[in-house]
Amino acid sequence: MEAASLNNVEVQAPDLDIDRTDRRVELLLGALASTILLLIAGMILFVLIKALPSFTHNGLAWFGAGGSVDDQLMDIFNSPADPADYVYHLRAWPLLYATVLITGVAVVISVVFSVLSAIFIVEFAPDRLRRIIEPVVKLLAAVPSVIYGLIGILVVVPFVAHHLISEDRKESVAYVIQLDGTSILVGIFILTVMICPIMIAIIVDALRSVPDKWVEGAAALGVNRWRAMRTVSLRAIRPAIVAALVLATARALGEAIMLSMVAGSVGFAPNPMDGFTFFLEPARPLASTIVDNAEGLSVVPFGQTMYAFAAILLISSAFLSFAGWAARKSFSRYTLGAR
Amino acid sequence: MELKEEQTQNGSAPGAEVPPLRQIVVESETVPIRVGDYAGPPDPEYGREPWQLNAGLDSDPIWVEERMRTEALSIAYGGKVAVSAVDLEVNSGEVLALIGPSGCGKTTLLRSLNRLVELTPAARRTGRIILDNQDVDTFDVTRLRSRVGMLFQQPNPFPMSIFDNVAYGLRERGSKKPRRKQLEPIVVDALERAGLWDEVSSNLNHPALALSGGQQQRLCIARSLAVSPEVLLLDEPCSALDPISTGIIEETIVELRNEVAIVIVTHNLQQAARIADRVAFMYLGDMVEYGPAGQVFGAPREARTQEYVGGGFG
Repeated sequence: MEAASLNNVEVQAPDLDIDRTDRRVELLLGALASTILLLIAGMILFVLIKALPSFTHNGLAWFGAGGSVDDQLMDIFNSPADPADYVYHLRAWPLLYATVLITGVAVVISVVFSVLSAIFIVEFAPDRLRRIIEPVVKLLAAVPSVIYGLIGILVVVPFVAHHLISEDRKESVAYVIQLDGTSILVGIFILTVMICPIMIAIIVDALRSVPDKWVEGAAALGVNRWRAMRTVSLRAIRPAIVAALVLATARALGEAIMLSMVAGSVGFAPNPMDGFTFFLEPARPLASTIVDNAEGLSVVPFGQTMYAFAAILLISSAFLSFAGWAARKSFSRYTLGAR
Repeated sequence: MELKEEQTQNGSAPGAEVPPLRQIVVESETVPIRVGDYAGPPDPEYGREPWQLNAGLDSDPIWVEERMRTEALSIAYGGKVAVSAVDLEVNSGEVLALIGPSGCGKTTLLRSLNRLVELTPAARRTGRIILDNQDVDTFDVTRLRSRVGMLFQQPNPFPMSIFDNVAYGLRERGSKKPRRKQLEPIVVDALERAGLWDEVSSNLNHPALALSGGQQQRLCIARSLAVSPEVLLLDEPCSALDPISTGIIEETIVELRNEVAIVIVTHNLQQAARIADRVAFMYLGDMVEYGPAGQVFGAPREARTQEYVGGGFG
C-alpha cells in the first residue's frame, strides 16, 4: 500500500535515475525468475504428455497389483515395432509400494533420530564433542549417494546375508523370492543414514536460533531443561522440522542409484505377513526402476512407461512441497515476528 | 550478557576479595522468621514528603511479614565476586527495589533468589536463601521457581497463543495435563490481576507475540501469577517499554504488592521512588544501604548512597 502511494508522488529529477536503475534490475530478475518457472512448467507438461499413453491404456489399474511387474516391463520392452501393437499392460503396485515403504520408514526413523540428536548437540553435548560432531554432520550431508551405495553393497549387504539370513529363512520364501542380502532392510538403513545429516543440520541451526529468553522464561516458571526443550524450543521450531522433513523426503523419494544397488532391484512387493523375513526381502522403488532401465528408453512404449514413473515422482514431490508449505504456514502462526 | 558485564566490572574492581566458597551445606531445614515488622505509618524522623507518590502512603498501612531472606549470600563467577555477603529481607505486602549502578550485582542477586543464576555454568554461591522459614536448598529447584516467579528485562512470551502462555506453568506442573475448562478460571484471574484481561478477553487464541511490548510484559506477569507465586522478581521490567506502558506496569506492580512480595531491580530512581516501599542500594557487590524508601531517598545514611541518589535526583 505504502509503496503504491509512493509511486504516485511526483519524483524529483535526480531520483528518476535511481528509479530507472531499480526498474531495470527488477525487470532482469523478473525475467530470470519467469524463465525458471517456464522451464519447470514446460518440464512437467512434457513429462505428463509423454506419460499419458501408459496411464490411458491401463486406467486406474495402473496403480493396482497383478502379475509380475518385471515380466510386464519386459513385455513392454519387447513390444512389436508397429505403433498399433505397442504393449502397455502394467500393474505398478510393487514399485509404488516399495517407494512408499522405503521412503516412509526411513523418513520416520530419521525424524525421530535427527530431532533427538539435534537436541543432544545443542543442549547436552560437551563443547569438545560438539566441535567434532557438527562439521562431521555437515560433511556427511554432502556425501554423494553412490558412495553410500558402494559401502552398502560391499559391507552391509554381505553382513546381512551372512548373519541375518539363515538357510531356513531362505527356504521359507524360496518359492516366491530369493534372499541374497539386498533387501529393504539395507535400503531403509542406508537411506536413513543418508538423510539424517541433512535433517540434523537444519534442526540444529533452528534450535540455535531459539531465543535464550524463551528457555529462561520456562526455567523461571519451574520447568526443567528437558521439558522446556520439548514444550518451548521444539514447538517453536516446528516449521524448520517440517522444512527438514520435506527436504529429506524429497531426497529419499528421488534416491535411485543407492537403492538400486542395495535394495535388490527386483519388482517385488515384500509381504508383511512374513514376519522378520519381510525386512530381508528385496524391492525396487520408482526412481531405481527408471535408472535401471535407462538403456531401454528408445523403445517408445517402454520410454513412455518410464515417463509415467517420472510423472508419479514429480506429482508426489509437488504435493510434498505443498503439504510442507501448508504445515509450515500453520505452525509458524505463533512464531511470526518472534526473532 | 548482563552477567558477563558484571563479572568483568567486578573482577577489575579493587578491593573486591574472593570469599571462601564452600559447597552448600544445609544446616537446618527450618529457620525462624522475623514477624511483625511494621511498614507504616511513615517514620516521622525521616519524613516521606518528597515521595508523596510512594505506594506505601496511598493505601492503608499493612502489616508486613518476612517472606524471604538471604544470609551472607555471596555469588562469584569463576573467581570474580558479583555479590558479597548480602543479607536481604523480602517482606510480603511490600515492593522492594534494588538500585545501584550497572554491574553492582543487583541482577545477580535477584537471579539468585530463584536460583536462576545457577544456569550460568561458572556461577558459584555461598550463604543461605530462606523462603518461608525453609532453606531453599532443601527443596526442588523447580518447586522454588514456581513459588518465586520472575519477569525479565525483555518481555519473553512464548510463541503460543495468549491462553497457552498463561496456562503454560500450570500445564507443565504435573504429569497429568489439566483440561482447558479447568484452566480457564485461573488464566482469566491471572490476566485480570495483571491488568490485561480487558484488552485480550476477546482474542485469547491470538498469538502472544502479536501483542505490543507493554502488553507482552503484562502477559509475562500474568504467566507468573498463574502459578500463584509468593514472591515476584522483576528484572528491570520496564527498560524496554515506552512511558505509557511503564506507567501501566507500575500501577500493576503496586496493586499486586498486597498479594505477592515484589522485588524489582531498576536503574530508574524515579521509578523506584514511585513504587518502592523499601529500597536496597548496592555498590560493587556490597549492599550499602537497606531501608524504607522514604529514608533511603530522603535521608540516606551512607555517603555512597547519598552520592548515587543525589545524582539521580539532581
